[in-house]
Amino acid sequence: MTVTELPPFVRADGPDKVSGSGRYTADLTLTGMLHAAFRYPDVAHGRITRIDTSAAEAMPGVLAVMTDADVPDVHYTWAVADRTLFARDIVRFEGEVIAAVAAISPEIAKAAAAAIEVDIEPLPVVNDIEEALAEGAPLVHEDWASHTADDGIIRDGNLAIYSALQRGDADAAMASAATVVSSRYVADASHAAPIEPRAIVAQWEGEKVTIWTSTQVPYDARDGVCETLQLPASQVRIIVPHLGGGFGGKCGFHFEAHIAALARKAKRPVKLVFSRWEEFVAPDRRREGMIVELTTGLDADGRIVARKGWVGIDNGAYMADCAFFPQLAAMHVAGPYNIDHLSIDAKLAYTNHQPSGSVRAPTAPQGCWALESHTDELAAAAGLSPVEFRRRNLVDTGTTGPMGQTFDEIGALRVLEAAHAAAEGSGPLAENEALGLAVGWWPSFAVPAGAYAKMHGDGSVQLITGAQECGTGAVMTLRYLAAEELGIDVEKIQLVYQDTGAAPFGPGATGSQTLLNHGRAVETATRDIAEQLRELAAEQLEAAPGDIVLADGVASVAGTPTASIAIDELAGIAAGGNLLISSGTADVPEYPTLEGSHCVGDQGMAAWLAPQFSCHVAKVRVDRDTGVTRVLDVFAAHDNGTILNPIGAHGQVEGGILMGVGQALTEGTQYGDDGTQLNAGLLEYKLQTIADAPNIHTTFIEIPTANAGPKGSKGLAEAPNVATAAAIANGIAQVVGAHVTQLPMTAERVWDTANGTADQNGASA
Amino acid sequence: MSMQIATSLDEVLAALAAGARPIAGGTDLVVGHRQGKAPLPESLVAIDRVPELAEIADGDPLRIGATVTHARLMTDQVVVDRLTAIADAAALVGSPSTRNVGTLGGNVMNGSPAMDTGAPLVVLGAEAELASADGIRTVGLDDLWTGPGRTSATAGELCTALVIPARPASSGSAYVRLEYRRAMEIAVVGAAASVTLDGDAVASVRVALTAVAPTIIEIDGLEGLTGRAIDDDLLAAVAEAASEQASPISDLRASDRYRRHTIGVMARRAVDAAARRAAGESISVPVNRALGIGAAA
Repeated sequence: MTVTELPPFVRADGPDKVSGSGRYTADLTLTGMLHAAFRYPDVAHGRITRIDTSAAEAMPGVLAVMTDADVPDVHYTWAVADRTLFARDIVRFEGEVIAAVAAISPEIAKAAAAAIEVDIEPLPVVNDIEEALAEGAPLVHEDWASHTADDGIIRDGNLAIYSALQRGDADAAMASAATVVSSRYVADASHAAPIEPRAIVAQWEGEKVTIWTSTQVPYDARDGVCETLQLPASQVRIIVPHLGGGFGGKCGFHFEAHIAALARKAKRPVKLVFSRWEEFVAPDRRREGMIVELTTGLDADGRIVARKGWVGIDNGAYMADCAFFPQLAAMHVAGPYNIDHLSIDAKLAYTNHQPSGSVRAPTAPQGCWALESHTDELAAAAGLSPVEFRRRNLVDTGTTGPMGQTFDEIGALRVLEAAHAAAEGSGPLAENEALGLAVGWWPSFAVPAGAYAKMHGDGSVQLITGAQECGTGAVMTLRYLAAEELGIDVEKIQLVYQDTGAAPFGPGATGSQTLLNHGRAVETATRDIAEQLRELAAEQLEAAPGDIVLADGVASVAGTPTASIAIDELAGIAAGGNLLISSGTADVPEYPTLEGSHCVGDQGMAAWLAPQFSCHVAKVRVDRDTGVTRVLDVFAAHDNGTILNPIGAHGQVEGGILMGVGQALTEGTQYGDDGTQLNAGLLEYKLQTIADAPNIHTTFIEIPTANAGPKGSKGLAEAPNVATAAAIANGIAQVVGAHVTQLPMTAERVWDTANGTADQNGASA
Repeated sequence: MSMQIATSLDEVLAALAAGARPIAGGTDLVVGHRQGKAPLPESLVAIDRVPELAEIADGDPLRIGATVTHARLMTDQVVVDRLTAIADAAALVGSPSTRNVGTLGGNVMNGSPAMDTGAPLVVLGAEAELASADGIRTVGLDDLWTGPGRTSATAGELCTALVIPARPASSGSAYVRLEYRRAMEIAVVGAAASVTLDGDAVASVRVALTAVAPTIIEIDGLEGLTGRAIDDDLLAAVAEAASEQASPISDLRASDRYRRHTIGVMARRAVDAAARRAAGESISVPVNRALGIGAAA
């Protein structure tokens, strides 16, 4: 069923971006502007015994040098306040900022940063999740107990956050199982790797600072500046020019306060542009490394009777936004399956690595990869095909999921059947080819968001939203929602966004919620204007407001189309009197209730609003002599509720899948024994290129979903990134006869798996 | 710094004698500078507008000018027909934009053991023509490459061309490499082969290896294969010799163990493709794509 109501449209920012006329943050130049450079430690863990900035300060062209001593004494971050803007006494990862310099050229700034004398006494490096959690491990934060933390957070030393899911009696049920399968999977950390390295420009005017920055979440950036520099919200304005991709890596607050503080000290505007190396090592948003151990018991019919699991997650050195990761990871390895007896422990561990954070569908691609590899092992143990095993065990409408949530109408089984059928119908497989199947899920996040709308005297409209365009194009859909409410042509509607000085609060481009939350706010705001137009038209046409219909640029009386007036004309009348302005906020939908489960360390992830389901089938070809794998086709079926813009929706799925291919095969951070990244660059950190892209065949199972986004829509940006690596894994396993237990499944790891020599490639035991 | 744009070879050689360094596509020099490997030289002479350096001359020997780009090598009919392994290699270099500016001479003189055009040039018997204000000499490639990033050329010498003996009848060549993605890649390992057939039997076979030693190396001891048919046994012997003679390292791209195995696979596939081309089969450039090397078809 297709329920699409809006006309398919091509996003409006394409020409600017393609022609080069679009301006990004790094393109900005202000009068008198200086350039910033950061000083980093050369080690992943050490005690700072001396910092001497005098040589740097004395260099011609240097106008400001800053360290921890120059900013307010504030520990910040989400959930656990474990961090300061500049390193204080201890450095805990290689990309930690020790000092910052502002100078008249980038070259001088860089030279001055290098001229700062820093003595660091090395400390033992915590380089591994299990090492971190082991008895007697060196502590990443010796003073962890003194950090303030949100209520409900369970932590202990290097155990940054602990969560557990409990349902039924897993031990007893496991003992009764006909078949029990245990697996262990290890995923390397990876990166968002947006094409635009981040950039920031800060300028003070009196007590107010304006910061242009490449953030996906302007209000988070503003709040971070306010918290760390102790400024009122009214004095900090965040503006985001065009953003060159984010993929989650640019969520939140990063270096805006450093640059604002530098600009204040130097009394000049200051600009920071990251190198690619910095973009790899410094931001506190990379995809977390993860270890997953699962044991699942089946009955004689191949139905899951119990699951026990353990998940270890690499938090890195500081808490970014990972507080909910253990709970989310536990849910992903529990999976969208009917399991009455469940026990999963999840531990987020401090290490001396770059902090982890919300990269597109955090914890999900790795969790799904581990779970769905394990699921294919279960199917084999049960003597069932992968698709039949999932038919018997998947959640669906009316069933109760692993967390005790009983689902309204969902498309879990329908996406399974749709992707499976599309793949099976695609023709015969050649030698060394196989179809690998995996199912994924992802929640929709409902949070407050606001919108303003105003109709000018000429009938054109401005929508002012806290939404942020990060490359997805989802914000463009807001115009269409407004056009429909107002009955006018979409070309008359302009978006104003990316400016906390103008727009109401919104969660920005994070958590697949641009349409879900900002869309509802825009609908509310423009509905208000529509109401005002009806009242105006009713006066002019001597009719009741309730009888006025707004369509095709005209307000007319229902049933009497000749009684009408152009909306432009109404706008002109209003301009001389009561202005057509309005605001709207999104009523936050109620989350579903849970029954029969227990969540230790609950961070609010237990119940999923408008859950999104996907099934990907990857057609892979493996070169058995080298292990090199090529993904030829991906057949994807998605339940993301109503699809409002098919062009944008297909683009999201295709991008998510290509990102998933990279995570599956080539993208993984390699760490040296000293805890530093060995492949922090685009030559050795291998993203997929367009030449590697598979053919992607997408089907949307459109189920208009109540209690979700506009017109029954759900989120969409993250879901396509969940199941791809898992599907590829299951394809590879069919060709080589065993599952690759490390992610990415590099050619060498595939070759080793095929030859039974995986223990020689450095795999964790 | 200064940069002179030369329009004749004499201008280039005079500039080199005065201490300038040559720049053609700049794909190694400029990228290396940006990555902090080496600062740009104080004085540069651009050689990309010197016409005689950009010529491909058919004949015996064949002559490929040093500034011929990879984009031209992969499509030039003389190269594709007779020096096919070079076309295979050029087609795999970097990305379309790299291939449009990167040159054969630059690839050769950069001296990287991972250079893609090096192994093909070795199996085709190429020599480098080096010119300086003092005159011209030709030097064999095994004498030219002295270590990773090092050559025996003097600072005043410019590589002006690669000179290749005319190909005998019933000859074919091929270059294959192990790659993890289909663009922006550097050889993990690679192998080039040149095969000349006498009927169904091998008249001569040469194999050279990429990225398994400090320089490109040629496999020794393949003379014993003369007179034999191209069959699984022969290919297995080639693979074994390649794996034995390689001295690979472990690094971010692969372990030595995996490189030692896959260099054998690449050598076997290169000889197979070269022999099929020698027998008249048309295998399009690059072999990596045509035959699905590394599952890449």
